[in-house]
Amino acid sequence: MDLTSLKWEQIRIWLLWLVLPLLIGVLIASFVPRPVIGLVRLEDAINSYTARDMITQINYAIDHPEIRAVVLAINSPGGTVVDTEAVYMELARLRAKKPVVIAINGIAASGGYYLSVNSDYIYAKPTSLVGNIGVIGYLPQTPMILEEVISTGPYKLWGSPRDTNMRQIEMIKLGFYEAVRLGRSDRLKIEPELLLTGEIWPGTEALRFGLIDDLGTETDAFVKAADLAHVRHYKAVDLALYEPYGIGNESYPFFLQSSEGITLPYPNKPGIYLLYIPQLPGKE
Amino acid sequence: MKKGLLWIALAALFLPLLARTLWFYRGIAQRPEIATPDYRSFTVPQPALQSQNVPQQDVEVAGGIVLVDYLHGNQFQPAEIQSLREAVEQRGGRLDTLTDAGGLIAKLKYANALVVISPSYGFTDSEIQAVTNFVGRGGRLAVFADATRGLMSADPFSGTILDAPDSNAVNPLLANFGISVNNDYLYNLLENEGNFRNVFFGSFGKDELTFGLKQVAFYGTHSVESDAGQVLFFGADQTFSSITDAHNPAEGGAALSDDGNVVAFGDFTFMTSPYNTVCDNGTLITNIADFLLGGEQEPSLAAFPFVFSQPDLQVYAGSEVKVTAATVAVFAKLQTTLQAVNVNMKIETKLPSEGDKLILSTFSLSDDVVPLVEPFNLQMDEGGKFIKVPGFGDVVRSGNGIVLFEPGKEGNTIILLAETKKDVLLFLSSVSSGSLQNCVLQSRIGVCGMGSEDSYSEEEETEATPTPTPGTPAAGSTGTAGTEQPTPTPVATGVG
Repeated sequence: MDLTSLKWEQIRIWLLWLVLPLLIGVLIASFVPRPVIGLVRLEDAINSYTARDMITQINYAIDHPEIRAVVLAINSPGGTVVDTEAVYMELARLRAKKPVVIAINGIAASGGYYLSVNSDYIYAKPTSLVGNIGVIGYLPQTPMILEEVISTGPYKLWGSPRDTNMRQIEMIKLGFYEAVRLGRSDRLKIEPELLLTGEIWPGTEALRFGLIDDLGTETDAFVKAADLAHVRHYKAVDLALYEPYGIGNESYPFFLQSSEGITLPYPNKPGIYLLYIPQLPGKE
Repeated sequence: MKKGLLWIALAALFLPLLARTLWFYRGIAQRPEIATPDYRSFTVPQPALQSQNVPQQDVEVAGGIVLVDYLHGNQFQPAEIQSLREAVEQRGGRLDTLTDAGGLIAKLKYANALVVISPSYGFTDSEIQAVTNFVGRGGRLAVFADATRGLMSADPFSGTILDAPDSNAVNPLLANFGISVNNDYLYNLLENEGNFRNVFFGSFGKDELTFGLKQVAFYGTHSVESDAGQVLFFGADQTFSSITDAHNPAEGGAALSDDGNVVAFGDFTFMTSPYNTVCDNGTLITNIADFLLGGEQEPSLAAFPFVFSQPDLQVYAGSEVKVTAATVAVFAKLQTTLQAVNVNMKIETKLPSEGDKLILSTFSLSDDVVPLVEPFNLQMDEGGKFIKVPGFGDVVRSGNGIVLFEPGKEGNTIILLAETKKDVLLFLSSVSSGSLQNCVLQSRIGVCGMGSEDSYSEEEETEATPTPTPGTPAAGSTGTAGTEQPTPTPVATGVG
């Protein structure tokens, strides 16, 4: 075997035993996904459309292993009870597998805070509005009959007696309080009688009461999520890009519209809500 | 050699995988157990229900009339006072309604109690005075405000809230009795009846109204306080006022006036179905019925014609009044008035010894009437121009009538005296209209202008100067004047 042949033999051996496995290894390694921290945004009241939107994204996060954690950025006064509960229960499924970190932006009130407590960590801005724990609803009217409406029972029209409705609201409140108590556990530093007043607090006060874990931004939330998920060099992805379910939900009239076209903070339909209804400016 | 190469190949194969993994991952994150509410365990909170009414055999049948105010935009439906109505009727009483503005003074003459529920509009000064006089005579007043019933509306488009709480309407009425209702509501976040605004009261002041109570529940109640009287229902330490978000032991759900004749509740809803069966609310309602029927006005002329306690009124005119067409007409008028207040009229030829009596006489008293007039200490000198009437002074005989009232266990007696037979009939005719509005009244004596010059004698007009007799209250001081005048006016002949 001449020298040239020997060199080629050595090259062939290195190619066969080192470079080729290395290339194969690189190829295989490329299947190890870059971790993703998913971002789910709630920038509206929690209604059937926004809830479906969120649930779709949550399910996407559950189903995709590269998504190692989720940041839920909340700016919501709450919404309907059932839609809040629906998102809350899906969040529990997600949390069983992946960390969820909350970044409260403007407000996480009532149902917005209900969702927040189903998380591993909560950030808020110093003046974010946090709390308003409780239920609000309009009691149904007393039974009456209308000439043009025929029904088969006194409560067919409004659904339930006023007293029953009131007590159901209390039961919903118990569920809300329990969610807060379990979600915050020993981090909660506020007595129930104050917590249940329905008061809303700025982020700094919310931190003092243990309603949140720290003051911080969405960036902080991503860092925390990565830390909880034990990942680094992650990619942040807005999950709405992958599951843009809620196309056109801006037109959903959850809030009442004045005759001048102004959106008011009152829900469009009577019912029971986990909703913060702020006072209108300039009104007594 | 080949074994070494195999290791190199394996290392080359896994190195990128390891490197990439370690580049991205710091380990495996262990997930904690996620705790969420056990929604299946939640039930709708239900109150403890108790029997609403005291068994019939234990009820003392007192009878009486409870006047219910419908005059002031009262925020309730008649069906909502059904439990109170039943409790009152079980005790032989009945509810009467006050629906016209002119009827307040007239109806307060015979009512045992007045009930005012969540008024939207305040009472006028004269109405407040009438109610105050009524309570002063022994009548009872129960005021029910309600934090959920005041006039409050929110314009969803402008956000303007119109707030006219019923506490504003009831406080002027209650001010004379040292009770005030705050424009707030009481709440308890920890221990409540289905909602934070439905509060329990488990501590009570001592009174018949709180007899047998262990716990009552109020549904959106104002806090009530009293300067001179007593707070009846005290909330727990965690029961807060919405104004202060603090507990005030001087406030409660109800308060009683110092004299025990006026009670104010911060809530009315507890009397309505289904809340009238919660806790001891049913017992409270029966206590309220007892309280209302326990009011008994001191008999006085101001209450005429509701001064008779018997179903029959015996009218005795002596032998001086003959049955003429004019007489019959006057008696018929009297009979009509009496029938309106469920009293039958009987004309007697002898002075009845018992029962309700109406006695007609001139100032020249017959022997049988003298003993009835003597206790009033009238000085009626024969041939004189004046009669000295205690509390009024010298009253001109001519053109004036005197009405005397003697309440008794076996019947009440009214005596009408005038100068002539014609004046007596004229006097009776005036009285038969159903009021003593031409009279200046004290509790048991009144002097009345006859109202017609024909009846006057030819004597000169002379004013009588009121000269209160020692021991006799000045006219109006008892608040019993039929015309609700605070002081008597000088009684003059010739008052037309």
